[in-house]
Amino acid sequence: MKALWRSLTVVALLGLAAALLVAVLGLPPAPVKLAGEVATNLGASGVSHPVTAVLLNFRGYDTFLEVAVLIIALLGMLAAGLPPPPPTGSRNAMLPTLARLAVPLMVLAAVYLLWAGAFRPGGAFQAAAVLAAAAVLLHLAEILAPWPRDRRGPRLAIAGGFLLFLAIAAALLANGGLLRYPPEHAGLLIVLIESGLTVSLAVNLAAFFLLRADKT
Amino acid sequence: MTPLLDPLAWLILLPLLWATLAFLAADRHGPMLALAGIGGQLLCVIALAGDVASHGSIGHLAGGWAEPLGIRLVADGLSLVMLLLTQGVALTLALYARSYFSQATPPAFWPLTGFLLAGMNALFLSGDLFNLYVTLELVGLAAVGLVAAGGGAAQIAAALRYLLATLVGSGAYLFGVALIYGSYGTVSASLLGSLITSEAPLAVWLAGGLMLTGLLLKTALLPFHFWLPPAHGGAPAPVSALLSALVVKASFYLFLRLWLGPFAALSEALPALAQVPAALGATAILWGSWRAIRADRLKMLVAYSTVAQLGYLFLIFPLLGTGALALQAGILQATAHGLAKAAMFVAAGTLIKVGGSDRVLGVAGAAAHLPVSLFAFALAGVTLMGLPPSGGFLAKWLLIDAALAAGQPWIVVVALSGGLLAGIYVFRVLRLAFRRPTTHDDVPLPQRPAALLEWTAFALAAGSVLIGLGAAPLLALIAGVQP
Repeated sequence: MKALWRSLTVVALLGLAAALLVAVLGLPPAPVKLAGEVATNLGASGVSHPVTAVLLNFRGYDTFLEVAVLIIALLGMLAAGLPPPPPTGSRNAMLPTLARLAVPLMVLAAVYLLWAGAFRPGGAFQAAAVLAAAAVLLHLAEILAPWPRDRRGPRLAIAGGFLLFLAIAAALLANGGLLRYPPEHAGLLIVLIESGLTVSLAVNLAAFFLLRADKT
Repeated sequence: MTPLLDPLAWLILLPLLWATLAFLAADRHGPMLALAGIGGQLLCVIALAGDVASHGSIGHLAGGWAEPLGIRLVADGLSLVMLLLTQGVALTLALYARSYFSQATPPAFWPLTGFLLAGMNALFLSGDLFNLYVTLELVGLAAVGLVAAGGGAAQIAAALRYLLATLVGSGAYLFGVALIYGSYGTVSASLLGSLITSEAPLAVWLAGGLMLTGLLLKTALLPFHFWLPPAHGGAPAPVSALLSALVVKASFYLFLRLWLGPFAALSEALPALAQVPAALGATAILWGSWRAIRADRLKMLVAYSTVAQLGYLFLIFPLLGTGALALQAGILQATAHGLAKAAMFVAAGTLIKVGGSDRVLGVAGAAAHLPVSLFAFALAGVTLMGLPPSGGFLAKWLLIDAALAAGQPWIVVVALSGGLLAGIYVFRVLRLAFRRPTTHDDVPLPQRPAALLEWTAFALAAGSVLIGLGAAPLLALIAGVQP
C-alpha cells in the first residue's frame, strides 16, 4: 500500500515537472518590461546599481520585512532552546593563526562590499555574511567565546540596525509614503540604512552560531 | 490627518517596533509593550475604518513608486474586517497571556507575537504578490517559533512538522509567483487582474494551482490538515488561540483574494474548479467533527473542531457568483469562528491549568468551581453550532441563502449536519462538566484562577455571539468590496 502511494506520488510529481518544463519553454514575451522601468528611474534612486536600487529603493519595503524575518528566525531559536556550549580544548594550533591572519582581511572585504553596493554587486547582506563568517571563524578558533542568551551587546546590535531602518521608514511618511526618499537625499539615506543593516545582519547571522545556553 | 500618522503604515510599523523593543529588553516588560502596542494598533484600525468607510478603498505606495516598479498597499472593507478581528482578538489574548504566564513566560513569546501581528497586518494590507510572500514568511516563521516556545520534545516535534508544512506551502506559492513574473513581468495584484485572461498560457494555470495549493496547505484544509492538531493542540493555550483564531485565517484570506482578484479570469473560465475547495471543505467539516467527537484530550478536541470549522470557509467558492452574499457568509464565519475559537482555547487552557488534567474527562465537575470559563466555552460552542443569535448562526444563514440562490442544495445539507456534529462535541464537554468529579470528595477544591483568565475568555465568547446581532456595519463593509 505504502509502495503504491509512493509510486503514485513520484508519477504525479514527474507529471508536474514535465508540465512546468513545457510551460516555461513556451512562455510568451512578458507584456510589462520592468527592467526598462528600473533603468528609466535609476537616476532618481540614489544609487547607480540596479539591484541595489530595487532592493533598497523601489522595493525597499520588501527588504525591510526580510530583515524582520531574520530576527524571527533568531527568536525561533531562542524559543526552541539554545544548544549547550561546545567542549573546549580540542583546537588545532593552526586555526588561531589562520583566523588572526584572515579576520582583518575579511573585515576589509566586508567594508568594501558595503561601499561597492552603490554601483556594483554588493551591499549590506553580502558584507554582513562575510563579517558573520569572520565571527564564526574566531569562535571556532576559540578566540571569541560563545554568547550567553541574555547578553545585552548582540541584542543591541541586532535591534539597533533594524530600528534605524524603521525610524527612517517612519520619518519618510512625512514625505508622503513609507520609505519614500526625497531623490536628493536617497543616496545618503541608503548608505545609512545599509551601514546599520550590515552590523545588525552580521550579528544576527553570527548569533545563529554563537548564541549558546548558559553553563549550568 | 498628517501623513506622518498614516494609520495604514503604522499598523505595520507599530508591531515591528514593540516586538523589536521586547526582543531588546530580553523578555522583560513584554506584556506592557504588547498591551500598549496592540492598543495603538487598534486605534489605527479604527482610524483606517473611518477612511475606508468614506473612500471605499485606501491605497498607499510604499517608496512612493507606482506599480509595476513599486509596491502598493491597499485597505478595503475585506482587509479592514480581518484587521479589526486580528487586533481585537490579539489585545484580549495579550491580557490573558499576561495572566496565564504570570510565573514563567516561554522565551521569546512576546517579541514573536509582535512579529506575528506585524506579518498578519502587512499581509492584509499588501497588493503585491511577492510582498505577500514575504509577509507569509513573517507569519509562518513567527507562528512556528511560538509553537516551539518553551516546550518539550513533543512540542518541538509538532513545531518542526508545522515548519515543514508551512515552508512547502510558501515554497509552492513562491514558485507560482516566479511563473507569474515570467509570464507578465509584474507581480502587482491589481495590474495582473486585468492582464490575466482566460486565454492565459499554461504557465499561469500552473502558477495558480501551485499558489492556491500552497495556501491550502498553510490553511490546513483537509487533506492538508495533518500538521494542525499537534501544533494547535500542543502549544500553550494563548498560542493555540492565536494560531487557531487568526493565523490560519490569514492564508485563507489570501486564497480568497487571489481567487477574486488576479485569478478571477481563470476561475470564471472553468467554473467546475470552484467545486474542488468546496468538496474538500465539506469533507473537512465531517472528518474534523468526527475526530473532535472522538478526541481524548480537551485541546485536541478544540483543534479538530478548527479543522472542521475551516471547512465552512471553503464552501463559499461555488457560490461567489451570487453577489455579496457568499463573501459575507465566508468573512462572517471567519470572524465568528476567530472569536469563538480563541474563547474556546483560552477557556480550555484555564480548565486544564486549574483542573490539572488535559483530558476531556478532566473537566468533570468544572461547572462548580469554574463557572465563568465553562460558560465561555458553552457560548463559544453556541457560535460553532450555529445557534441563533450568534455570529455562527448568521454566517450559516447567509451561506444557506447563497447556496439555495445558486442551486447547490448539497451545501445546505453539509452546513446543517456540521452544526449538529459540533453540538455533539460541545455537549460532550458540557455534560461532563456538570457531573461530579470522579475523585473522592476529600480532595481539596483547586485554587480559583485569576479573574482575568476567566473574563477574557468570556469577553471573546460573548463577542462571537453578539457579532450576530450587530453584524450590519460589518456586512456593509464587505458588500462594498470591489474585487
